[in-house]
Amino acid sequence: MKPFSYVVPKDLAEAAAAAAQPDTVLKGAGVDLVDRMKERLQTPAQVVNLLPLRRELAGVARTADGAVHIGALTTLTELEQHAELQDPALQALRQSAGMTATPHVRNRATVAGNILQFTRCWYVRSEAFHCLHGGRGPTCLAVTGENRYHAVLGWLDCVRVHPSNLAPPLLALGAEYTTTLAGKERRRALAELFPAEPRAQNPEHTLLPGEIVTALHVPKQPAGARSAYCESREKQTFDWATTACAVRVVLQGGKIAAADLVLGAVGPNPLPRPKAAAALVGEAPSAALFQKAAELAFAGANPLAHNDYKLTVGKAIVRQALDEATR
Amino acid sequence: MTVPPDPGVSRRSFLKGSAVAGVATTGIAAVAPAAPAGPTTFGPGEHEIALQINGKERQVKVETRTTLLDALRDGLDLTGAKKVCDRGACGGCTVLVDGATVTSCMTLAMDAVGAEITTIESLSDGDAVHPLVQNFVHCDAMQCGFCTPGMVMSSLSCLQRRGKPTVAQMQQDLSGNLCRCGTYGRVMQAIQRTAQGGGK
Repeated sequence: MKPFSYVVPKDLAEAAAAAAQPDTVLKGAGVDLVDRMKERLQTPAQVVNLLPLRRELAGVARTADGAVHIGALTTLTELEQHAELQDPALQALRQSAGMTATPHVRNRATVAGNILQFTRCWYVRSEAFHCLHGGRGPTCLAVTGENRYHAVLGWLDCVRVHPSNLAPPLLALGAEYTTTLAGKERRRALAELFPAEPRAQNPEHTLLPGEIVTALHVPKQPAGARSAYCESREKQTFDWATTACAVRVVLQGGKIAAADLVLGAVGPNPLPRPKAAAALVGEAPSAALFQKAAELAFAGANPLAHNDYKLTVGKAIVRQALDEATR
Repeated sequence: MTVPPDPGVSRRSFLKGSAVAGVATTGIAAVAPAAPAGPTTFGPGEHEIALQINGKERQVKVETRTTLLDALRDGLDLTGAKKVCDRGACGGCTVLVDGATVTSCMTLAMDAVGAEITTIESLSDGDAVHPLVQNFVHCDAMQCGFCTPGMVMSSLSCLQRRGKPTVAQMQQDLSGNLCRCGTYGRVMQAIQRTAQGGGK
């Protein structure tokens, strides 16, 4: 790691002022950042430690309107076990938090940190490779290289996949995020946190320099809402997903009255699949229906030389998530 | 011919002494805390911090980039936690921070200021060892031993939180510790034996 200055803010205003300085990065637990700094992929002059702000930026609470407020610095362990989330509508969030990485990582890793992770593409994470996303070369090396963990959907000139497994369930549940920048607070739909065009030169998120994510908000779920999150991995634990799916359905009178379906680990962004979700609405849950939704979820896929397995496995994961949510 | 170290000198202190001799001083004086109006800034050079380790406050010199693992091993000679992958991918460096297992290689030492840190050294006092350690020996729950300190700390956390853990709970709690020798079954036996009061 290159030496850096370590800034300990007393409040959010101090953190924001420090974050606006040049060559500065923000750090929650730093699980991903310390890794990248060890690899010298990131060599900031200054690191602003947000952990002292846990009192204001961590914790889960039900607000008066029935929504759930999740502080940006809430750990994944806290999220998985929190009493306010013991609700079938929010099951996907608990499942996702509980299967991330390892218990040791979940005890420290934060919700915002999980969503703002840098991609795990092995080309961009190794300085030796002249990769486009890393700003070190002219092309995406994974398109023609070793790409078994890379994108099959929604990619343009870079086939990285978005590594967050909290983003799909949060998107499926209609979550919003709040940021602070230069003293101004903004609340937007979570989809806006990800680049509209996930090109190589775009980072994984749309935050401006100095902008700090302070909280996530999951709106009140309607009666009959159920959610589920499933992912495929090469190992049972301690691994990133090869494919992932979060679904939220509203069940009324044995039929699906509303649905949301979001794929993870198959594209440069977490990918909402509205056509697949629309096919579920007005129908009674059945294996044939889930198969149809799974096919639609992967419609238009453009797999690479070594990752067309993601289509087969990913469709099974979609069916499994739907099955769990409607069981 | 090289002269063997004096028998009174341990292998570790001998290696440490020779390493120190070869290291140039590169530390830059710590930046003094800024005016009370702004945030406090440390580094990038060396400065002293206080860590709460195994119930005692310990002073240790660190740089801002020093990990908790390096502070424990190199700064405080608490070499029980092992540096294996140094990327949070194996669990060999597992310690408890405020009672929860963490990979100390991915935790900056600065981030641990103010937290209660528990290392494997807290489980022995001379020849007297914690029942869990006794049960690791009794159940032969180790082979090469490299993962063992981390495995013991995850087992300790499992017992502290769950009392009498089920097999599924033990599997979950040990899922951040890799063992190439495949001792998991015996580690779980050691946990269960401890939960049943064995090893005292």
